[in-house]
Order: sequence, then structure tokens, then C-alpha cells
Amino acid sequence: MQYELRQQVVEPRRKTFKYLADRYGDQPVSRYVEATVGVQPTENFHYRPLWAPDHELYDETYSALRLADPYSFLDPRQYYYAPYVTARAQWHDAVGRTLRYVEDRRLFDHLPAGWRELLGGLVLPLRHYESGAQLVCVTGARFAYGTSIEQCLSYAAFDRIGLAQTLSRVGFALADGGDELLGAAKESWVGEPALQGLRRLCEELLVEPDWGAAAIGLDLADRLLYPLLYQHLDEAALRTGAGPYSLFAQHPAGWYADHRRWLDALVGTWCADPVHGAENRAILAGVVAAWLPRAAAAVTDFARGVERLVAAEAPEAVAALAERAAADLARLGVPVEPQQVTA
Amino acid sequence: MAQKLSMKQRYSALTRDLDWTPDYVDPARVFPYTAFEGIKVHDWSKWEDPFRLTVDAYCKYQAEKDKRLYAVLDGFAQGQGHLSLSDARYLNSMKLFLQGVTPLEYAAHRHFAFLARYYNGPGPRFAALCQSIDELRHTQTEVHTLSTYNRYYGGMHSWPTMFDRVWYLSVPKSFFDDAMSAGPFEFLIAISFSFEYLLTNLLFVPFMSGASFNGDLPSMTFGFSAQSDESRHMTLGLEAIKFLLEQDEANVPIIQEWIDKWFWRGYRLVALVAQMIDYMLPRKVMSWKESFELYFEEQMLGGLFKDLEFYGITPPRHVEHAIAEKDLLSHQVYWTLYSFSYAAAFTTTLPDPAHRAWLREQYPDTFERYYQPPFDRAAAIQEGGGRFFFQGLPQLCQVCQVPMLFTEPGDPTTLCQRERVYRGERYHFCSDGCQWIFDREPAKYVQAWLPVHQIYQGNCGGPTVPDVLAWYGIQDGDAGSTSARSTTPTGSAGTPKPRWGLTMPVRAITEAYEFPSRSRAELYGDDQLVHVLWKGNMLLAAAATFRVPRAMPWAEFLAGVVDPWAASDPDYRPGTGRSWTLDGRPLEPRDADTLADLGVGHKSLLTFDT
Repeated sequence: MQYELRQQVVEPRRKTFKYLADRYGDQPVSRYVEATVGVQPTENFHYRPLWAPDHELYDETYSALRLADPYSFLDPRQYYYAPYVTARAQWHDAVGRTLRYVEDRRLFDHLPAGWRELLGGLVLPLRHYESGAQLVCVTGARFAYGTSIEQCLSYAAFDRIGLAQTLSRVGFALADGGDELLGAAKESWVGEPALQGLRRLCEELLVEPDWGAAAIGLDLADRLLYPLLYQHLDEAALRTGAGPYSLFAQHPAGWYADHRRWLDALVGTWCADPVHGAENRAILAGVVAAWLPRAAAAVTDFARGVERLVAAEAPEAVAALAERAAADLARLGVPVEPQQVTA
Repeated sequence: MAQKLSMKQRYSALTRDLDWTPDYVDPARVFPYTAFEGIKVHDWSKWEDPFRLTVDAYCKYQAEKDKRLYAVLDGFAQGQGHLSLSDARYLNSMKLFLQGVTPLEYAAHRHFAFLARYYNGPGPRFAALCQSIDELRHTQTEVHTLSTYNRYYGGMHSWPTMFDRVWYLSVPKSFFDDAMSAGPFEFLIAISFSFEYLLTNLLFVPFMSGASFNGDLPSMTFGFSAQSDESRHMTLGLEAIKFLLEQDEANVPIIQEWIDKWFWRGYRLVALVAQMIDYMLPRKVMSWKESFELYFEEQMLGGLFKDLEFYGITPPRHVEHAIAEKDLLSHQVYWTLYSFSYAAAFTTTLPDPAHRAWLREQYPDTFERYYQPPFDRAAAIQEGGGRFFFQGLPQLCQVCQVPMLFTEPGDPTTLCQRERVYRGERYHFCSDGCQWIFDREPAKYVQAWLPVHQIYQGNCGGPTVPDVLAWYGIQDGDAGSTSARSTTPTGSAGTPKPRWGLTMPVRAITEAYEFPSRSRAELYGDDQLVHVLWKGNMLLAAAATFRVPRAMPWAEFLAGVVDPWAASDPDYRPGTGRSWTLDGRPLEPRDADTLADLGVGHKSLLTFDT
């Protein structure tokens, strides 16, 4: 016997929200677009902030970097909250599995000379760098104009605190589950000469009034630090039998590749903006001129500290990474002068 | 081997100790906003984080919740689930939710990021960061939940534009703008304590129980899914207030004033919820009065404030007015929305006999006596083929921005009018509560973007109702009906005389926090705004506001402005004897006197009796 199931179908009056139909035509849009485009209020704010009477609550002029249409930038990863937390749940799960494996097999005990000290003495203190990075990102989460940009910065801020906690876990793993290395790492962060350049950079970024300049300034340091730690030193670790370092390094490296995608897209969008493009390019060049030498100096100091523990040609790697950063930015449209690269 | 850490120690090590005191730059420049409000914090580490959630645990837990929620939403969309609602009228409450509540979630998302940046202590910063992205979750899941309905029903298609522009949505918008524009501690008391803790049950329970009673599976699922986030936010609110009270005794009076202010601000905001519970849900959950008694009087006044006594905190100022209004509030607000429904993106209908019986039962002391008569008259108009509308624009409260529909304490038939002259300009308030809030920070509230005044300044798409509705983004089919009109003549003369001025400075980060009034006389050229109140007429929910030339003769004002509006009441007889008052003083106008001659100034209140 066959049944024919009848279904009452009501034709929809519209396929998406009006402001999205105005932009993309009346057609279904992705959940990312629905959750992002046009969400931030844009006009008729009632009161000026007591903490910034010269600005509106949402104001394009919180940064000199502007877009004619804030939604000309979209996150290439299409992260709205649900896919974001899903991706990060998987990332943290993978990190947790790695660290449990490392702890169970006591792999950090078997690191070659210098590598354990590198992890405990120089990498672990970077949890404070991540904490500073979180503050830089969350400034943009509040002040960026348009949901597509601030959403990326919100997730980046949450990522950074997650990275700080992940590094802290490495500290637990290095100390058999105790937190004594974390205390020592904090002392290093405020006292160890190899780290002072990075600390100073963090502090200076925190008083940079333009959230866009601060976010790019931070990124310039990331562009040197992340590939140094998790690519260059990862290769060195594999060459010198420090496999457990590499086991860990794969995770921050994976995060960094994901993080690059939206930042590069944003820089590209700023540079290509039909109205503000020329001005944005000039401003970005100024930001690079101001911050890349400082970032290069800070990460070079750090690399010298690395070099004292493991022979990996880390300072040379930073110089090469700074050149690569300048070339990458030039490709995205930022007019970077080669002499701006070095301190 | 090192001592294994307890979960608490491990959590603390993971989240807390990340901070350091900057010394390459001045720490006061890193955290510039935590001094100007006068709150003293001696030891940020005393902040007890109630959640102890690490980032990995947070992501895992939230990802699982979202997986379940989106599975329900997908199933609902595929299965034409919108057809299983109790009644399409139910969606009015969801229209209001998307237009008026979802944008607040988003505002909370943005401004908790401010706290996550600028608090000096890492504990509260991390809590604020978690709440910031939670609120983004709520914004997005609400949009996704209601997106399916948007495809089939009106009133949801332009919610962000509406939030920025539509008259009744300036109530929630100005509420949150007020909190965001305040300092970081006031924001915390405003949102985490007063809104999330004191009033959240009054806001959320009706929406979500309403969803479950009325067959709205997605919203109900969203509500449950958000509940665990909300309970974290409520806990944060309570933790915040205890932390600040314990830090320094000098904080107590500051926080008491913020509680006073934000209780009243929030209470006026939930007036929109009160009418929704009693009038918009086809299947009722409970009455506003019951809900107020349970969630506010019993749980907050009877519970929370007893606990706060220890710190020297007393129940909020003006709370007795709120308690006294519980029998009146929903009726007054709904009647107002009914009266202006031609300009709203939801529909209003008259309560049917069963609904009226329920209202009589729930409100034995007030419904039949005060609020059924206007409904009866509106029903009679409807039987005659018409529809009652308030033929004009309402006078708005300068602070809460609700039309001035509230009545004098103890007298449900007299509209409450409060007035202040500040720097030569007259301002009106719906209540002692709103007036008190204005008096504390007049320099803030003179900036209010009052929708009625903006319409009269020509900033809202044009002079006619269709112009304004088009600018609002309201389409045919969003509301029930579209026939009503407004009066906008033009012309000249007369300056309001300051009666007394207030000079209280706002506590802002700079000395100069001075902005011109957004309703100041010069914005109207030779015209001015005039409020007209028909005393004791329960059909007209509020006084009307008009833009008229100062040089307009009285006779013309009566015939061209007052009469067409007063004729909203079919029993109005032009030309019959009336006694007038101007700003509380008796007035004996002659036909040839101009408004300026009579001393009618910008935002004067003219009252008549029949």
C-alpha cells in the first residue's frame, strides 16, 4: 500500500531581510551574512559618551582607517558565533589531546638541552603577550565600525585569551601539573631582557588611541613572532630531536594561519576601498613605518634570547620574516618602503 | 613532584595571573576610564569569578548548545513550522522582540567589550569578555530563529533600521545608549545588575513562556538555550554589585543612585513587556501584575534587597510608584499602542469578550472601571466601519521617551505631567522617577533624540505619515491599518521664559560635557512645539505635540490644530466652552491673540477641560 503525504506549502513573501535584499537581491543568504551584515546601529544615537564626549557611541572616526561601506569586508572564514565556537572547541580539544599525550609520556622531560628552557623561560611568558594582545583586539571589538570587522576582533580577543590559557597549560605540563613555572614566567615577562621589547610593544599598543593602528601594530609583531616560534623553530626542533616542541607548535601554527585569513582580507579591503583607499594605504604605510621597526627590534631581542638556548639562527630568521612581512603587506596594497623594515 | 593544583587554583592560574603593571607607559593611560565616576577599587583581585569557565570548556559547551539549537531551527524551517503557531497575532510579540530586544543584545555585546578592555582587573575583564561574545550569540541566534518567520510575516524585515528610527523603539534604544554612554561602573550596575538581575525575569520569562504557550518552538528552544548564558550574566550582576560595595564605603551612595536610576529606567522599558503579556499573547501565560508580584516584589524586594541591606543599600527610589502602577500599566501602554498603531510595525486589535473577561478577572479593581470604557468606545467606532486612532503625535517623556501616558500616583484618570526648565528650555517627564533622573544629569538628557520632535524638524523622511513610515522602513502588512494623519503647519515668535535653572554638572571624563538640546527652539525657525492635553479624556492616551508658528492666532490654532486632533474622539464638539491653562496657570485666550501674545512658548503645555 502506498501513502501520498500531502504537505501544505505556503509561499514565502520574501527570502531574506529587507536590508540584505537591498544589497544582494531577494535571495536566501548565508547564516553568516544574516548574522553580520547591517547589524550594528548607524544613526540617531541619543547621548555622547561621558568617556569620549567628542565621539558618538558608534563612530567611524575611532580609527583613521575607513571603509566607504563597512560590509565590503566580510570574514573569509564566515565565522559567526556557532561555527566560531565549534571550530575553537575542536582546536582546544586537539590541543588538550596533545598535551595529555605529552604529559602521559612525560615527553617534555626528554627535550634536548635548551628546548625545555626555551619553552619554560621564553615561550611560557608569552602568555602575557597574548593577554596584551587580547586587550588590543577587544579595543577593536568595541570601536570598529560595522559588525563584520568587530566580530573578527571579538573572536580574536577570545582566541588570544585562549592562547594565553593554552600556554599556561604548557607551563603545567612542564611542571608536572604545578603552577610554579607560571610565577617564574611572569617574573621573566617583567624582567628578562629578551622579553622587554615585546612587553614594551604591548604596553605602547595599549595606549595607541586608534584601534586600527593598534591592531595592525600587534599584527606586525605577530607576523614575526608566530612564524619564528611555530614554523622556524618547529623545523629546528624536528631537526634536533625536539619533537615534543613540534607536537605543541602545530596548534598555535594552525591558529595563526586561520587568524591571518581575516586580517589579510581586512588590510586588502582597506587598501582597495573606492573612497578611502588612497588615504588608507598612506595610513597603513605610516603604521608599518612606526611599528614594524619596533616589532622587528622586539622580536630580534627575543630571538637572541632563543639563540642563547638553542642554536637555530633565530635572529637571522627574524630579519627574513620582517622582509617577508613587508613584501606580504606590499602585495596586499600597502606601499611599504624596504628601508622601513629594519630598526 | 609538584603539588597537583585544585580546580580552583588551576582556574585561577589560567585566567588571573596574566596581568602585569605597565611601566613603559603610565598605567593610568592604559586604563583611563575607571577613575572619573568616583568609584574606588582597592583590590581588583577580590573579584570572585562565579563561572570558572576556561576558554576550552566554554567553546565546547557552547558549541554543543548551538548544535542542538540549529538542529531545531533547521527542522522548523524545513517542516513549515510557522504554521503551528497558536495564532498569527502571537508574532506581534516576536516582532517587538526582534525590533527592540535583539538590538539590545547586540549593544550589550559591543559594550561588554568596552569593560573587557578597560577594567583594571583581569577577573572582571575576562567575565566581561565572555559576556560580550555570549551577547553576540544571542543577537545572532535570535536573528536566525526569527529569520524563518520573516519570510512569511511582516514587521521583521527591517529590524536594524527600525531600531535606529521608529518612535517606540527609541525607548529601548535610548535606554541602552544611556548605559553605554555612562562610565564602565555605571554600565555594569545598569546592565548586569539592574537589567540582567533585577528585571531580566520580567523580560525574558514572558517572551519565552509566551513562545512555549503559543506553539513557537524555535523561540522557546532559543530561550532555553540562552537561559544558561543568562544565569551566568545574572550571577555576574550580583557579583559585580557586591564587589563594588565591598571595595569602599564611599561607593555605596554612588551605587545606590545608580540602582535608583536604573531601576526606574528599566522599569519604564519593561512597560512594553507589560502590555505584551496582557494583550499580545493569544494564549496567556500569566498577567503582568502576577509576573511583577512574583519576579519583582517577591524575588527582588523580598529577597535580593533584604540581602543588600547589609551593605546599606535600600530598595530603589520611586519603587512605590511602580508597585502602585501594576494594576494600570499594561492597559495604559496597550491602549496607547492601539491608538498609534498606524505607525507601528505590529498589529493591535481590541480584546475579544473572552480576553476582556480574563482582564476583568486579573484586574478586578481597574480594568472594568477605567480601561474597558475606551475599548468599548473603540469597538463602537469599529462597528461603524471606522478605527479609532490618535490623530496626532504624542508628547514624549524627555527621559524614558515613552509617550506621556502614565497617570498621577493614586489617580488613574489624570495624566502625570512633570516639568523642568533647564538653561531656558522646558522639558517634560512622565513621572517623578524620570524627572529625578533628568535632574541628576540634565546635560545628558537634553541630547535625547526624541522621535516626535525629530519628525517636526523634518529629519524623518518628510512631513506626512506615509513619508515617515517609509523612512522607518515600515511596509504595508507590518501593521493593521494605515489611515491617520498629522498636522504640520508652519510660520513665527515667542521665547520660553526660564523659570528656574539647574546647573548640576555631569560627572564626565572632561570638564566640558555640554551639548545643545536636540529639541531647542531655534531648530524650529519661527515655529515652536506646543503640547496640548485634553484633561480627563481617557480615549486620548497622552497629550499631543504640535509644531505651530509662534504668530499663529488663537482661533486658527483651535480650528486648524486642536480641533482636528481632538476630533479623534467622535464626541468632541468644536467651539463648546472650555477652560484653558497654560503651563499650569489659567489662560483666557481671545481669538485674535497670537500664541506668542498669550505667552505660549516653545514646548509649553496647554491644557483644556470640557
